[in-house]
Parts: sequence; structure tokens; C-alpha cells
Amino acid sequence: MNAKLQVLVIDDDAVVGRSFDRVLSDKGYEVSTVNSGEEAMDSINEANFDVVFTDIKMPGMDGLEVTERIKARCPWTPVVVITGYGTEENEARASVLGASGFVRKPLTPEMIESVTLKAVTEAEFAEAANETVAEVETAAETSATVEADKTVVVHSKAKKIAKNVGLFFAAPFVALGYVIALPIVGFYQFAKLAREARAKKQLNK
Amino acid sequence: MVNIQSEKERIESWKKARKAELYINPLPVRIWHWLNALGFIILILSGTQLRYPNLFNVMSFETAVRTHNWVAFAVIANYCVWLGFYLFSDRITVYHPELNPKKFFDKAFAQMRYYGYGIFRGESSPHKVRPYDKFNPMQSITYQIVMLLVVPAQFFTGLLMWDVKRFESWIAFLGGIEVIGTVHVLIYIFFLAFTSVHAYMGALGRSPATHFREMFTGYEEEH
Repeated sequence: MNAKLQVLVIDDDAVVGRSFDRVLSDKGYEVSTVNSGEEAMDSINEANFDVVFTDIKMPGMDGLEVTERIKARCPWTPVVVITGYGTEENEARASVLGASGFVRKPLTPEMIESVTLKAVTEAEFAEAANETVAEVETAAETSATVEADKTVVVHSKAKKIAKNVGLFFAAPFVALGYVIALPIVGFYQFAKLAREARAKKQLNK
Repeated sequence: MVNIQSEKERIESWKKARKAELYINPLPVRIWHWLNALGFIILILSGTQLRYPNLFNVMSFETAVRTHNWVAFAVIANYCVWLGFYLFSDRITVYHPELNPKKFFDKAFAQMRYYGYGIFRGESSPHKVRPYDKFNPMQSITYQIVMLLVVPAQFFTGLLMWDVKRFESWIAFLGGIEVIGTVHVLIYIFFLAFTSVHAYMGALGRSPATHFREMFTGYEEEH
């Protein structure tokens, strides 16, 4: 497991990638650079990145399409769009596609560092918030289940006690019924046995 | 290869389980039983002196009345202990009726055959005693009727006669003191017979003392 935060820079201009590497590599980041959207998708399939920077204007797949694909594949990964042609329309589209930020060239070392830090921190906050929500939901569900189980147990216990006590107090009356029926059933059984014995005797004859 | 330690543990746990299986009468039941036995003997004797002084006369009439009353209240309190124990423990099943008549009659006739014939030939009882099923069908119906109908009826009639003035309206409603007195005496006669048969049946164990010993220890002896 790599302790360094993984940064992917997608730009057909190799200088941009090198700039990111120079600024971030001694600050706890590991920077990977690719020249196209296609290469970026291959890298995304092979490794997890903590933050992705993508240029908009590239040959083949442009930055917005890359953003869309990355967000579809791993929505938790923050994607920051970089462009030298910043327009309001592109910013709006990038935002709709789920981009975490939008930075314009030329990039200074301070910008690279602060934007990276901001994207990573926001992603961590979002993850922590999601985990908390999930924990709260799980706790609520567990609590609801436990409460439901408790209610079922209490109901079934109460039912069992009521049945036990009911049978206990009904017992002498059932017993009286048996006492009354016992001689009648006994006589019937005796008559049956006698009849069977007689039949057996006749069969033997 | 046999692991001696685990074999020993297995035997110990089997012995423990077997012992629990034979623990038929818990402490509250044993305490209730012997106090009840003592109370009943005193009530029968003092009652005999009150009703038939020519037959049995060992104390003054007043002492007999006072003894009869005090012991009767002690027996009622003791009955409440018995009732509470069964109502609030899972051993209540001991007093549950058999709701399948065929099963009941089959078992009852087998038990009657045993009492009338098998026991004299050294056969073992068709009923296997278990903590939650300790009575055979004959004992079961007898104790259900005795403990939940006859004993409370005796307490009730005794209570009415204890303070005739206070329970005047009840006595009048039930047909007068003569009726109440007759019912009380009839039940007394029943108990006289019941305790004799009970003691006789108690002596029918492996040895005459077996069942009595069991009622002190709580454990049924291995047969």
C-alpha cells in the first residue's frame, strides 16, 4: 500500500505534468502523467487516484468527456479541470459533470498546491460525511431492528406466559373431564379387548 | 489417540447434564412440600379433635381452635409460595394438562396397569420422570384437581368458618354454615385418605425411603 496521495495529470503538454510533479512530489504526493484521455482511462482502470487534473483541449477525448467518464467510473475521485481557454460555458459544463474545481492556466506552484490540497481535503470530507451518514443510517437501522426484535420477544414472551398460566388454571377442569370420562373409556377399552379375545378364540377353533 | 483430559471433561459434562436431568424438585417446592405436610398433619389432628373430640383428644378445645386457625393461615401462606413459584417459573408445565385425550388415556391405562399389576412383578413405571414432566397421568390429574380446586375450596370454607360474623353474607349465599361445615369436613375426610395414599405411594420406590429421600435432596435417584 502506497502512503503517498496519488495524483493523475492528463495533458497533451508534458510541461504541465512536470510542473505538477515538481511542486507536489516533495509534499507527499505521487504524480502520474498521461498525454490523452484514452491513456487516462487505462490508468484509472489500473490504479486508484486521490485526485485527477485534466486539460480540456486535448486530441481525441477532451477533458470534459474524460471528467464524465471518470465520474461515471469512480464518482468519489475528485477531478479538477485545467484549461488555457477558460469560458463560463466550459466551467458550467464541468461543474454539471461533477468536476470538483476549475483552474485556468498559467498555473503557479501555489495554485497547484492549493488546488490539489483543496480537492483532496474536500474529497476526504465528503467521504467522512458519507461514512458518518452510513454509520448513522446503519445505527438507526440496527436500533430499529433491535427495537423490533425486542418487541417481538416481549410479545412472544407475554404470549407464552399467558398460555402457560391459562393452561395451569384450565388444568383441573380438563382433569375433571378425564376423571369423568375415564371409567367410560375404560369400559369401552375393556369391551374392545374382550371382543378381540373372543374373535381370536373363535379363529383358533 | 484418546485425549485423556478432553475425555475427562466430556464425562464430567455428561455427569453434570445427567444430574440436571434428575433434578426434579427445586428448593422452593421441597420447602413448600414439607411445610405443607407438617401443616396438614397438624390441621388433620386438630380438626379431628374439633369435630370428633371423643375420637381424639390431646389438648383443650380452645387450644385446638387456636392451633387450627394459626396453622391454617400458615398453610395458606405456604400455598401462596407454591402458587407463586409455579406461576413465575418455567416449571409451570408440570401442572399443564394433556390436551390430547388419546395420548392421555393410553398413558393413563398403562399407568393403571402398572399400579395394579406391573409394580408387583417388579416392572418399571411406564412414565419416565423429567423436571418438566414429573407426574404420571394419574398423578397429574390428581394433583391438578387437588392443588387448584380442592385445596382452595378447603381454604375458602375454613376462612368462612373462621369468622362467621364477618362472612355472614357469603355463608348465607352458599347455603348456610351447615353446608359450609359439611363441605369442609368432606374435604377433610378426602385429605385424610389422600395423605394416607400419598404416603403409601411414596414408599413404593426402589426402597421405602427412596422417594422420601428424593423429596429432601430434590434429585431423582437413578433407576
